[in-house]
Amino acid sequence: MSTVVSGAAAVATETGKRLAAAEGLNATLSWSQDLLDAEATRVDSMAEPGPLAGMALALKDNIVTVEQPSTCASRILEGYVSPYNATVVGRLRAAGAMIAVKANMDEFAMGSSTEHSAFGRVKHPLAPDRVPGGSSGGSAALVAAGVVPAALGSETGGSVRQPASFCGVVGVKPSYGRVSRYGLVAFGSSLDCISVFGRTVKDAAQVLSVMSGSDPLDATTVNRPPMRVPEPLQNLRGLTVGVPREYFPPDLHAGVAAALRATIARVRELGGEIRELSLPNSSYAVPTYYIIAPAEAAANLARYDGVRYGPRRIGPEGDIRSLYRATRGQGFGQEVQRRILIGTYVLSAGYYDAYYKKAQQVRSLIAQDFRRAFESGIDLLLTPTTPTPAFKAGEKTDDPVAMYLADIFVCSVNLAGLPAVSIPAGRSEGLPIGAQLIAPAFEEERLLAAAAALERVIPAAAEVR
Amino acid sequence: MSIGRDEVLHVAKLAELAVRDEDLARLVGQLNRIVDYVAQLNEVPTDRMAEPFLPGPPAVTLREDVPGADALARSPAELAPEFKDGFFLVPRHGAMEDQ
Repeated sequence: MSTVVSGAAAVATETGKRLAAAEGLNATLSWSQDLLDAEATRVDSMAEPGPLAGMALALKDNIVTVEQPSTCASRILEGYVSPYNATVVGRLRAAGAMIAVKANMDEFAMGSSTEHSAFGRVKHPLAPDRVPGGSSGGSAALVAAGVVPAALGSETGGSVRQPASFCGVVGVKPSYGRVSRYGLVAFGSSLDCISVFGRTVKDAAQVLSVMSGSDPLDATTVNRPPMRVPEPLQNLRGLTVGVPREYFPPDLHAGVAAALRATIARVRELGGEIRELSLPNSSYAVPTYYIIAPAEAAANLARYDGVRYGPRRIGPEGDIRSLYRATRGQGFGQEVQRRILIGTYVLSAGYYDAYYKKAQQVRSLIAQDFRRAFESGIDLLLTPTTPTPAFKAGEKTDDPVAMYLADIFVCSVNLAGLPAVSIPAGRSEGLPIGAQLIAPAFEEERLLAAAAALERVIPAAAEVR
Repeated sequence: MSIGRDEVLHVAKLAELAVRDEDLARLVGQLNRIVDYVAQLNEVPTDRMAEPFLPGPPAVTLREDVPGADALARSPAELAPEFKDGFFLVPRHGAMEDQ
C-alpha cells in the first residue's frame, strides 16, 4: 500500500481505504468517507493550512465532537452527540488536521486492555489473540496498523503509554495542565490528560504542540506558551538519565529487561550519563491510583442517571431513585460498576480517612520522590513502560487486580502530574516492548528531544536479546 | 477488612446502582480483592504529612464574570425530540409509566 499521497483529498481517500481494510481490528466506533471528504475539502480550501495540513487523526471516543457520537464505548452514552467540540478539536482543525474517526476504548477509559468496551474488544494489530492495551487501545491499534499517522487518547493512569508500548508506537502524556480537558469526558479530574500516539516522536510532538496551551474553558490549564516541537538532539551529552531500581524487579519479563538494558546502552553510546537511584514509594502507586481514580469517577459518573444523560430505564418501584438505579445498572458495564462501587465505598463516611485521605497523602509522597530525583541532578528518568509485552485476551478479565498491575510502571506519572513518553524499544517473540522516559513538569521539549534522539538509534522492530 | 453482601448492597444504594442478584457474589469477591490489595497503603507512615499534592496551576485562573450562555454548535431544537417556543416538550407528569 502506497504511503505517498498529496493533498488532503487524496489523504482522505487513502485513509478511508485503510480504515475499511482494518475493520477486523474493531478499533473504530464511528467514521465515514463522507466526513473524511468534507474535512479534506475544508483543509484544501484553507488559506493558511497550518502545521498539520492534511493529517488524518483518530480521536478516542471520550473526546467530544459535534459531527459524530461520543459514546465512551458505553451503552449509557450510545448515540450521544455533543452540542460542542472539545477545545483540542478546534485547535487541531485550525492547524489543518482532519478529524472524522472516533476510536474504540475501554468503557469510560476504565481498563488496560480495551476488552471493557461495550462494543467489543479491540484486537492487537500484530497478534489478534492479544490485547492492544488500554484504555486507548483503538487509537493505538489504528496508528500501529498504519491507518493514521497519529491519534488522540487520554490518560488517567497510563492509558496511552501502556497501549503505545504494547502496539509498538510512540505515546506521549503531557504535564497535567498543559492541554485543555474541555470536551474530554471526565473520569478522574485530578489525573485526566488528553495524550497523543504517533508513529514517530516528531508526529506526536507536532500534534501535542498544536493542542497545548492555556484555555479559559479549563481552569486547570497552566498559563504557559504552547509547547514547541523540539529539534531532535544529535547526542545526549550533558544529560543525566536516572534509572530507578524499583522499576526493574527480579521477576521483570526477560524480553522487557533485555530491551531496557539495550536502551540504557544506547543512552551511554549517545553520551548520556546513567545514574541508578531509588523512588522508594513506587510500589504504592497502583493502590493509591485505585483509590483516587475510582473516588473521582464515582463523583464524575453520577451524571449518567437517565435524566441528564443516558437512555432512561424504569425501575421496579417506578419512582425516580428506581429510575436512576435501573438506568445505571443496565447502562454501565462490569468494570465501570466495580469502580463506581469502590469509589463510593472509599468516600463513604466510615472509610474516608482510612482510604481516600491516606491515598492523597501517599500521592504526595510519590510526587515528592520524583521531585527529589529531579532536584538531585537527574534530567530524565528511564524505565520500562510495562512489565510484560501484550498479554492474551481474556487472560486478566476475571481478576481486576491482575489487570490493574499492567499499569504498575505508568500510573505514578499521572499521580505526580508529570510528562512522559513511551518509545518502541525492540520486540520479544515478535511483540513490541516500550521504554519510558519521564521528565520534570513542563519539560516536554527536553523529553521529546531526547526521545527522538533515542528513536533514531533503537532498532524498534528487531528482536531483543 | 472485608466487605460483605449487605455492605455491597448498601454502597450500591449510595451509588444509585441496581446490582443484579446473580452478579452479587462475584462483586463481593472482586471488591474484597481490591480492598485487600489497596490496604497495603496502611504500611506507609503518613503521620507528619503536609498538605496533599495536587497537580496543575498554583492558582486557578477564573474567567471574567460575564453573564450569558456558551455558544452551542447546534440549536436547542436539534438537541431534543421536541422543542417549541423556546421550551423542550417532555411527557406529562406521571405519564412515564405508560412508556
